[in-house]
Amino acid sequence: MKNVIETHDLQRIYQTYQKPEGLVNSIKGIWERKYDSKIALDKTSIKIEAGKIIGLVGANGAGKTTLLKILSGLVTPSSGDASVLGYRPWERKNDFLRQMSILLGQKNQLWWDISPLDSYALLARIYDLDVTHARKKVDELASVLDCKHVLNTQLRRLSLGERMKMEIIGALLHEPKILFLDEPTIGLDIVAQENIRHFLAKYVSEKEPTVILTSHYMDDIATLADSLLLISKGKIVYQGTVEQFTNNTNSELAHDEKVDFEEVIRRFLETESRVR
Amino acid sequence: MLTTGIEILLWVAVFKGAKSATIAGFSEANYLSYALWSAFFARIATSWMYEFKMVEEVSSGSINSIIVRPMSFYEYYLSQLMGYKVVTTFISLIIPIAAVFIFDLPTDLSRLPLATLLCFYYLFLVHTISFIISTMAFHFTKISSLTVAKNLFMWILMGELFPLDLLPEPYKTWVISLPFASGTFTPVAYITGRIGLQTVIEGFMSVTIGLVVLNLIGAYLWRRGLNTYVGTGA
Amino acid sequence: MIKTLKKYFLLYLAMFKASFIADLEYRANFFSRILTDVFWYIAQIITFEVLYQHTEKIGDWNVKEMRVFLGLLFVIDAFYMIIIHENLENITEKVRKGDLDLLLAKPVNSQFMLTLQKANTAIFGNLLLGSSWLIYSLMGLEGFNYARLLWLIILFPCSLIVIYSMRFMFSASAVIFTRSENLQFLWWQVYRLGMRPDSMYTPYVKYVLLTLIPVGVIVSIPARALLNPPNLTYLLWPLILVPLLLYGTHRFWNFALKFYSSASS
Repeated sequence: MKNVIETHDLQRIYQTYQKPEGLVNSIKGIWERKYDSKIALDKTSIKIEAGKIIGLVGANGAGKTTLLKILSGLVTPSSGDASVLGYRPWERKNDFLRQMSILLGQKNQLWWDISPLDSYALLARIYDLDVTHARKKVDELASVLDCKHVLNTQLRRLSLGERMKMEIIGALLHEPKILFLDEPTIGLDIVAQENIRHFLAKYVSEKEPTVILTSHYMDDIATLADSLLLISKGKIVYQGTVEQFTNNTNSELAHDEKVDFEEVIRRFLETESRVR
Repeated sequence: MLTTGIEILLWVAVFKGAKSATIAGFSEANYLSYALWSAFFARIATSWMYEFKMVEEVSSGSINSIIVRPMSFYEYYLSQLMGYKVVTTFISLIIPIAAVFIFDLPTDLSRLPLATLLCFYYLFLVHTISFIISTMAFHFTKISSLTVAKNLFMWILMGELFPLDLLPEPYKTWVISLPFASGTFTPVAYITGRIGLQTVIEGFMSVTIGLVVLNLIGAYLWRRGLNTYVGTGA
Repeated sequence: MIKTLKKYFLLYLAMFKASFIADLEYRANFFSRILTDVFWYIAQIITFEVLYQHTEKIGDWNVKEMRVFLGLLFVIDAFYMIIIHENLENITEKVRKGDLDLLLAKPVNSQFMLTLQKANTAIFGNLLLGSSWLIYSLMGLEGFNYARLLWLIILFPCSLIVIYSMRFMFSASAVIFTRSENLQFLWWQVYRLGMRPDSMYTPYVKYVLLTLIPVGVIVSIPARALLNPPNLTYLLWPLILVPLLLYGTHRFWNFALKFYSSASS
């Protein structure tokens, strides 16, 4: 299967200003600044095939968002190379941007004071979509997500779950080949989470985009992900399927897979934080 | 500082276009001095930072502390305001005084203390108005535009834009008798020798009247606002 | 090329429409904006009326001509407030909240989106007020050649671009230095320099205000177009200045973006 994403020794280091302690050091700090180098992402080389859902898991600050942002073109790497759909993401060529979509869990790309339908009209213009075709898509997606009745209500009047559904429709409107989902179910109640999970699973099986998903809810990863990318302190420490991961680390226990996976991830993250 | 420069250039241009060396009896240097000092005094007499904080506190409804001691809300912010103004006034006084000596502008520095006193007395009025605006926060949610409009209105009447005595009658007498003139025009005109002690005393009196009237209104509005607030629940 | 222009034009119309729908929610804003700005207009008008009681000319112009100058100032400022202002004011917040990322992920020119995304249609009332004053002041001029108004078709957009370019340099630096309140204040001082006729300034200052810090171009040149017999040096200068300024903002924005994507994580 063709590789949709390939990275070679992708690295991201950034400098943070080390804030000095105490008065004397603060004054010294005016002309003598000490910088700390932080490795957000360390020489990463990965290959991702088309049509797969990749779950990106790691502790806070491990480098998930950095990797996601580099692959979506929002951040320039310090060194190394990456190719997504044949483009270098950080060059942000329009042809690349047209085929990808990024959903950042806590942020709204839709306008707050107008209805989702009005926002979609704008998006259709931005992505050069045929208006009737777009309208049809909206209807389709809204039916599956069961939110057609609120398409005409202003975004700010909708509940968090409904807003998230609208954001998802907005992200899928232009039928992207690559989907970056950063915490899509955060803050949602259990029913809404399951709704969205079912929807995503169905959508991916029908349209076959490549999806990179980060989430702190292991149910998201366990249900949706074909493969797992475990990232720790900027390094990929595991690349493979969810089953293999659970089996490798917990060969003795043979309980319900979902509970296992979550247990295992929890232990992994705990060891992580202890080693720090 | 830049704005003072603009105003000064404006007066230079005004004099170039005028046919005489004096306007309303005063020389060009006098007007330049006026422009300089009016910028300084207008900065003292304008305050919106504390008004903003007061409005915030009322609309966010830290209701307990407000109900228990209503007077201290007024007094607390008054002392904050005055403290801030005293410090910044002393520091920024250097600039106009330096400019006066460097450019030899007509200024009677002996009159400065009384003028500053009047301006500070005017600040009490400014604070009372801020207090009244903050009572509006009991009833309305977005009143920032009220603050801006009020400030602009007071700004026009203060006399920073031009010496108020240039206004034609009957406006001239009327506007100068308003307490707002004591914010900039009266103190600055006094220092630059445009008016005498008499007008300054009248300034003190009109500010006093203003204070009495507005404080009564303020106290009434405060009580009404609290009742509405408590009535509807927190 | 034509296709791209058409796309951006239609996109702008769509955004304007969306802005209008969003603004309808807050009808009170319409009135409160008029209320606040009316005092500002009055302050400017009264100042000059009073000054002219005591002098014949300020700069090159008499009281009737100055009224026209103010009218132009009000109208140009209203257009700026409607089309551009809110967007540039919010750059800092967009950067802070991470909304800039969402903008960068779209296949449209990010500078275009950032500059024009939201129109503040509530300011329309101010535009009406300002235009009324302008028309009133023009009627007061004897023998005014109304054909001169045609110059404004070119000069108004030029003035808007000048305001935009200068303000943009100040605001976009928020992308680099996240705290830029002082810069906004500085901008306001610079903008004020342009609110007085250029002829009022000493020759050296006037030259600077028409070239290096071209705020003088914003109102003074349209005013000259209306009030003075045609002086092509003044009237065609904006046409040279504007492409230079736009190119400058384009380069600056690219630089700021490079900085942004290399500095965030």
